[in-house]
Amino acid sequence: MITVQSLTKQYGAKLGVEDISFSIQKGEIVGLLGPNGAGKSTIMKMLAGHIRPSSGQIEVDGIRADERPREVAARIGFAPELPALYPEMPVKDFLRFITEIRGVPRPRRAEQVEEIMKLSGIEQVAGRLIKNLSKGYRQRVGLAQALVGFPPILILDELTAGMDPKQIADVRLLIKKLSDKHTIILSSHILSEIQATCEKVIILNKGRLAAVSDMKLLNQSGGEGDSFLLRLKAPKTMGEKLLAGVEGIQSIRLVPDSREESTSFFITGAGGVREEIFGALARQNVPILELRTASATLEEVFLQLTGEPQNEEAKD
Amino acid sequence: MRYLIKREISNYFSTPFGFVFLGIFLLLSGLSFVTYNLVGGNGDLAGMFSLLGSMSFMVFPILTMRLFSEERRSGTEQLLLTSRLTIPQIVLGKFLAAVLVLLAALAVTLVYVMIIGVYGYPNWGGIFASYLGYLLLSTAMIAICTLTSSLAENQVTAAVLSFGALFVLVMMSSFSRNLQIPVVADILSALAVTTRYDEFTRGIFRPGPVAYYLAYTGAALFLTVKNMQLRTLR
Repeated sequence: MITVQSLTKQYGAKLGVEDISFSIQKGEIVGLLGPNGAGKSTIMKMLAGHIRPSSGQIEVDGIRADERPREVAARIGFAPELPALYPEMPVKDFLRFITEIRGVPRPRRAEQVEEIMKLSGIEQVAGRLIKNLSKGYRQRVGLAQALVGFPPILILDELTAGMDPKQIADVRLLIKKLSDKHTIILSSHILSEIQATCEKVIILNKGRLAAVSDMKLLNQSGGEGDSFLLRLKAPKTMGEKLLAGVEGIQSIRLVPDSREESTSFFITGAGGVREEIFGALARQNVPILELRTASATLEEVFLQLTGEPQNEEAKD
Repeated sequence: MRYLIKREISNYFSTPFGFVFLGIFLLLSGLSFVTYNLVGGNGDLAGMFSLLGSMSFMVFPILTMRLFSEERRSGTEQLLLTSRLTIPQIVLGKFLAAVLVLLAALAVTLVYVMIIGVYGYPNWGGIFASYLGYLLLSTAMIAICTLTSSLAENQVTAAVLSFGALFVLVMMSSFSRNLQIPVVADILSALAVTTRYDEFTRGIFRPGPVAYYLAYTGAALFLTVKNMQLRTLR
């Protein structure tokens, strides 16, 4: 449905994004993930037709964005990170205006505005001026604006920024619901946000593509075989010494453990390595307090792929 | 396009801008009516339109400062640019909204005409020419301010740019009159937006100046459209 080839955007001498290629199938929920300044918003703005790429190509339903930008724009609903709203307008009038300029047929306008307000959970603020709304509600009006005309593709940039936990949960449900009929691209620098909502993730770092992967695969493997979390009743040095002798372990990483009597390790290796670990520790009478399969978090995947930690904010 | 015009007009009156414009416009016209017509006993509106013409570089920037610059600052420009509206429709819609607010202000001044008609000896030809001349001058000035608003990143810059541009264009008539260099004087005279206005206020009506103002307006709007088209290519 969307094909992006060698997309590059330069801002003067500064490179915004460089040589990005990916494709998105109909009905997918795709997450764009990366630290601040990774190029997420730049890519989204280019997809939505708000800025032109310096080079590269965007195709939507086989239509090239550089040749027929208006046709491509008509297929996309975009909710930017800072919602583009008219502050002096009441919510309902604003949405009505958007239906008018997007060419929603006149008999369907009122009905569509009501439906969208209900979907986005903004019915109770329909008559209020946008400038008097809280940040969370403004984000939702921004989402409602993107939904006008029910375009097949929705691009949602940092949509949940400024929302309270209840609103975030509501929006996640809404995104799942919308994915029945829409292809959705959403960006976040919050890892759990992407994990909770997306089926596929595009990881960006410093304007370049770090990885494109199915979320399930990432959750299962972290890209390096099976992962385990092991907690031992032994000091760190002893644990490391014992584990070093176990065959089949690919990597061992110490995990912070606040309890004094135990040490925790994050281990990757083939599935059978669990028995080897158990045997080696049993022979030395070292009690295993916990041994469980651990899905690598997206943060760990991010570390592996980009070689640098997410910022503190991203650990929310 | 009518939806855009409707939104723009409602925006003028949901913010102070429309009221400030109407207030200044009606204050100036009212003062002039009292001094030139009621006290001076004149049967035309040359005094009012002469004053409005010379003060216009102050009032039109207020009317137009938000047209494009505010949309750009708040990001709503993209809502319009990715809608079904074409760039010429967007430019024309915003321009017409400002012209309609001006027409509303001018409509109020018809009260003065009625007062002259009932209690005085109106010079109907002079009054008609004055209205037409002012309307032509104003639309040209609004078009220039539309262009400057499309160039600015925020409304304060837009107002300052508009004020500067109109001030220079109004002052150009004095420069061009005193300038002896042939081609430069002609160019300055062509750009001097108020030069051809005075004859309207004296009740003279010729097609040449009408065509001049229409061309001036058209050229400014054309440049606005081109500027917006260039912006979308960035």
